[in-house]
Amino acid sequence: MTVAEDIDVAADSPAKATRGLTRKGALYGVLSALMVVFCVVPFILVIVISFGRKVEGAAWVWGFSFENYQRFFVGTLWPDEVTFLYLQQLGYSFYFAIIASVLAVLTALPFTLLLTRLKRSTQAIWLVFILSSLSMSEVFIVMGWDILLSNNSGLPKLFQVTGTTQWLKDVGWFQSLRDIGLANPRNVKFKPSEFATILTMSYLVWPYAVILLYPALSRLDPSLSEAARTMGASRWTVTRTVTLPSIRLPLMGTTLLLFVFLLGSYVTISVFATPDKQTTAVAIYSNIRGSNLNAPFGSAQAVILLISASICLYFGHLLNRKAEAR
Amino acid sequence: MRIGGHIFIALAALVLALPIVVVCGAALNGGRSMFFPPRDPTLARFGEFFVSEPVWTNALANSIIVAFGAATLAVLIAWPVAYLLWSSGSKLSKVLAGLGSLPFAVPPIVIGVGLGFFWAFTGGLGHVWSGVVSHAILLMALPLVTISIGLQSIDRSHLDAAATMGATEQIAFRTVVLPQTIPYTISGFFFVLVLSFNEFIVIFFVSASSYATVTLQIFNSLRNGYTPTMAVAAITFLVVSILVFAAVARWGDLPRLMGADQSKN
Repeated sequence: MTVAEDIDVAADSPAKATRGLTRKGALYGVLSALMVVFCVVPFILVIVISFGRKVEGAAWVWGFSFENYQRFFVGTLWPDEVTFLYLQQLGYSFYFAIIASVLAVLTALPFTLLLTRLKRSTQAIWLVFILSSLSMSEVFIVMGWDILLSNNSGLPKLFQVTGTTQWLKDVGWFQSLRDIGLANPRNVKFKPSEFATILTMSYLVWPYAVILLYPALSRLDPSLSEAARTMGASRWTVTRTVTLPSIRLPLMGTTLLLFVFLLGSYVTISVFATPDKQTTAVAIYSNIRGSNLNAPFGSAQAVILLISASICLYFGHLLNRKAEAR
Repeated sequence: MRIGGHIFIALAALVLALPIVVVCGAALNGGRSMFFPPRDPTLARFGEFFVSEPVWTNALANSIIVAFGAATLAVLIAWPVAYLLWSSGSKLSKVLAGLGSLPFAVPPIVIGVGLGFFWAFTGGLGHVWSGVVSHAILLMALPLVTISIGLQSIDRSHLDAAATMGATEQIAFRTVVLPQTIPYTISGFFFVLVLSFNEFIVIFFVSASSYATVTLQIFNSLRNGYTPTMAVAAITFLVVSILVFAAVARWGDLPRLMGADQSKN
């Protein structure tokens, strides 16, 4: 306690101090109630409803059964018949999210490194641009890429007009593109495809990657790498032995956060992914708001998504703690 | 910086801008379908979006109500939490701040589903006011962070000086704490505003199709194919974002808010 605070307490009369205390207590009470009602109850509802049961031809009823979870992991007809359809959807959620987040971080890292070396005022202009792109709604971004990748306008048209398609055919790469589903007999075709999905997803989180890496990278001490440089280390050696080790943890933390964010992405998947590669987020939607109308099963899927995300966030938290301890 | 660095930055900027440029160009189309480059360019779509088409003007009005309401509410809730966290640092205040950030930390579809159920039971489902509250809950984490950064930047010796000169806690709050944190509070407000404008999945679940914001309206129109009017919406939102963040950069310290090192300039 500082001297000034001592004086403060001494100057206040005891009655006044108690009144201040109760007012603080009331504030704590109101805020706690608010947080519990709005930030905790919704999650509890999802968890509780996931144990409920759907009634054929009606909505659903409360209950306590694990059949929704059983259905998720092994299917309704288990043990006679086993289906991994829903696990596979979760697998695709992970698959798309992992590739897209790693891709975003790998490309955002050199960019952010260069950004932090610019003048502070120039940095601010870049940050405005990146924040604006970051806040762009997923629907706008999907719309933009959809036009860019669509067959009638955008890149396929550009490929055709500039003769790139013909060139691809001539050198024989066109067949390889067809084999991985990125071309129809006449021209290149970018959607729906994994390529379009992953491209849009990493575009979606790329500004986040920059913003999240920015604090760690702007605190890098340039004198360290300069010292290594003067001692004769090559640029690449400096990057490998000085820069990368010191940002390893924020790098992994950022990838994890982006991954968690992408786990739930809905619009991109529903527009760009092929029907056999839909993810858990899409399934949640179709169960709760869409055609299936099976809120308990949708909730169970949401709970599983939440648990997956929490595990990742927990590891991210551990990494952060480790980073701060150093 | 070497040439390679400049080329990389330029390339990144190009890819970042590409879909945005395409959407902006598509807004100028004269016909009913989206082409890029635009055919028969006209500005008529802007009139449709802002004035003549009720579908879009209603959606825009809803978006504005939700965004401003949510931003105000989020700041009002985040302020006392951030203040308690800073002034007392008690365990309870840390728990409150943690709970407040929770909705922002989990995949948005999960909190969307949860809030959908919550409003279904409390009778708010499908009302605009529940959309306002939902966005305030979802985005409260942002002013919580910016206000906390602002409070941490206050020099404690100023408070000690105020106290020794006989200022009570309230007076010190009004004359020292509040003025120094106003830029950070406004930044937090604007962050919520912009993100609420652009948020899709949570409002999708809590609106229950009984009203539409602009992002919802665009998603609904996705199934019927794109129209150039949707691109006008995208441009509008982009311009709002740029203006807001430029204002934050101009009157606040954007690099510091984003966590840059103080000592370097």
